[in-house]
Amino acid sequence: MDVALKIWRYDPETGDRALKRYEVEAPEWACLLDVLDIVKDQVDGTLAYRKSCRMMICGSCGMRMDGRAILACKERMKPIVDRGHVPVISAMGNMPIVKDLAVDMGPFWQKIRAMKPWLEPGYEEYPEGGSEFRHSQEQMNPIHKEALCIMCGCCVSECNSMEADPEFLGPAALAKGFRFVGDPRDQKKIDRLELYNSEHGIWDCTRCYFCNERCPKGVDPRDAIAKLGAESIKEGIDRDMGAKHAKWFVRSAVTTGWLRETELVPKTQGLVSAIKETKFAISLAKKGKVPPPFPPHVADKQHEARMLRDLISTQGRDGALGHVQGERALSRIEHAVMEDPESAGRRRDVPEITPGEAPVNRDIGEQP
Amino acid sequence: MRVAYYKGCLASLSAKELDTSTQALAPMLGLELEELDAVTCCGAGDIHEAEPDYYLHLNARILAYAQATGADTLMTICNVCTLNLRQANHMLQNDEALLARVSQNLEKVGAPPYSGGVEVRHFLWMVADDYYDELKVVAHKGLKGLKVAPFYGCQILRPSKLMGFEDPDRPWSLEAIIDACGGEAIDYPAKIKCCGFPIIQAREETALGELIQPIEQAMEAGADAMVTPCPLCHLSLDAWQQKLEAQTGRAFRMPILHLSQLIGVAAGLEKSELRFRRHVVSMEPVLSKLEGPS
Repeated sequence: MDVALKIWRYDPETGDRALKRYEVEAPEWACLLDVLDIVKDQVDGTLAYRKSCRMMICGSCGMRMDGRAILACKERMKPIVDRGHVPVISAMGNMPIVKDLAVDMGPFWQKIRAMKPWLEPGYEEYPEGGSEFRHSQEQMNPIHKEALCIMCGCCVSECNSMEADPEFLGPAALAKGFRFVGDPRDQKKIDRLELYNSEHGIWDCTRCYFCNERCPKGVDPRDAIAKLGAESIKEGIDRDMGAKHAKWFVRSAVTTGWLRETELVPKTQGLVSAIKETKFAISLAKKGKVPPPFPPHVADKQHEARMLRDLISTQGRDGALGHVQGERALSRIEHAVMEDPESAGRRRDVPEITPGEAPVNRDIGEQP
Repeated sequence: MRVAYYKGCLASLSAKELDTSTQALAPMLGLELEELDAVTCCGAGDIHEAEPDYYLHLNARILAYAQATGADTLMTICNVCTLNLRQANHMLQNDEALLARVSQNLEKVGAPPYSGGVEVRHFLWMVADDYYDELKVVAHKGLKGLKVAPFYGCQILRPSKLMGFEDPDRPWSLEAIIDACGGEAIDYPAKIKCCGFPIIQAREETALGELIQPIEQAMEAGADAMVTPCPLCHLSLDAWQQKLEAQTGRAFRMPILHLSQLIGVAAGLEKSELRFRRHVVSMEPVLSKLEGPS
C-alpha cells in the first residue's frame, strides 16, 4: 500500500523545525514503526526516533500521531491509509526534544528514581520451615495494573498538570509508586506515602484523565494516583491541602449529603489562608457564588448516607481496595472508537488542530 | 421523554443559574425532568480518591433512587457527576457480586436496591443526539453568528471508554449545538484540556497555569464567549479569571456560558431563568451584540 505521512522534524544544531511529507510503499501489515523504518532506509537516513522490541514491551517508540501519544509499534497503518488520512507524527510532549521524534527521557527517569522503585521487604532471613515467601493472587491483585507499565512516557507526554508544574512527579512515577505501596511484600508503605505526599506529588494531579486515555498498556495511572490518595488518607497522612479538600467532601456527605461549599476553602487551606482570600471571596459573594452555610442544604433521607459509611467501614474494602474491587468490571468495557456514522452528518468540519507542537508551557506572567 | 434529573451540588448552590436555565429549557425540548430529592453529592473526584468504597455506595444510592422513579435515564448537567455516576454504574453493571453487596448495603440503610437498570447521560449528549431536531426549532431566536469557543472540560471526554459518546480528541457535540443555535464555533487546541478546577484550592498556581490556556487561546481565536457543559469548569473559567487578570495584568473579560444558557439565549428564555447577573465576568458585551443589528 502507498502510505503518506507528515513528520515534524527538529534539528538541534540549528533549532529549525519543519513539517515534512513522506510517501513510501509499505506492506499491508505495516505499523507506524515499520513505515518510519522504511522512510529512514529509503528516503532520509537522518530521521531520528527510538525503537527496540517492536512488540509493545520495551516502551521505546513513544511519539505522537495527530497530537496523541502512541506507541509507533502498536498503530496499524492500513485503516489510516484506507481512510485517505495523512497522519502527522511528532515527538512526545512535556519532555525536551533531542532530535526529530526522540525526546530526552532524563527528567522522566529522574522522577521514576525519586519513587525509590525497588522492593524493601524488610527481612533478611528465610521463613521458618520453607525456602520461599508465598503470596496469593488476591494479595497481588491490587498492583496488577500498575505492574504492566513499560515506562514509555505516553502518559507523561499528555499530563496537563505537568505542563503547568514541570516538577510534578507525574502519572508514570506515581503509578510506579503505587506498584510498591500496594505490594504486600514491601514494608516501607508509610515512608513511601510520606514521600509521595510532597508538594509535587499525589495531590498535584488535576484529574484530567489524559494519562488513562493514552496509556497503551491499560495501567490507568490516574487510578493509581487515586489509590495512593486513598491509602494516604487511610493511614492518616492527610496534611496536604489536597487531602483536606478530599476529606471535606466525605464530611459533607456524612453531615448534610450535599457539599458544604462555603466551608470548603477554610477547611482546605486553613483559616489564615482563607482570610487572605477575603477580597476574592467578596467578589464571588456579590454574585451569589458563596452560598450561606446556614441553614445547611440537607438532602432528604440524608441519614442513609451517614449509615452507609458506618456500615461499609466494617466490610474490609477501605483504602485502595475500594478501587481495586471495581477493576475487573471496568476492564470488561470495550475500548471503542466513537465513530457513529449516523451522527457523522451532524459533525461540523472542525479545523485541524496543528498537532505535534510542543505543549504550551507559558509563564503566567508572559505577555503576548 | 421522562428522565430522572440529578443536578448535583453546584447547580443547587453557587451555580443555580445552570439549574434554572436547564429546568426552563427541558419542557421546550420535550424533556420531562423528575428531580431526585433524596440524593447526595456524587463525591466529585474527592470521595472517589479519599474513600473509594464510600464513593461507590453514594453513587449507587443516587442510581438506585433514579431507578426507583421508573425512568431508564439519569440525566446529569455536570462533567464530574457524569464520570462518577457512569464509572460506578459500569462497576456495578459488570460485576454481579459487587452489585449484590452494594445493593444489599443500600437496602440495609433503607434506600431502594439497585439492579443496574439506569443509563447515565449528560444533557449535552441528549441535546446533541436525541433532541437535535427539537433544538433547531427551539433555538428560534438564533445567536446572530456569535463566535463561541466550546470548552468541553475533561470528565465528559475522558476516560472515553467510560463515556462512550464521542472521540475524545475530536469531539463534535458542542460545535453541533452552537451551529444549531446560529452561532459560529471557534476552534482552538485547549478546548479538550483541563481548566484546573480540581486543584484550584490546593494547588492554585498549577491550576491557573492550566486555566490560562483555554481562555487565552479562545480570546486569540476571536471568541465572543466560551461555553461549557460543566459547572466546575464554569466556576473556574468565570470566577478565577480575575486571578489570571491580576497575575498577568491582561484583561481577558471572557464571558462564560453554561451550555443551558447558550441554548437558552437562542431559545429566548427569560432573564430570570438565565440569571446572567450571577456571573462574575459580565455577559453584557454578548447581550448587546445579540440585541444589535444582525
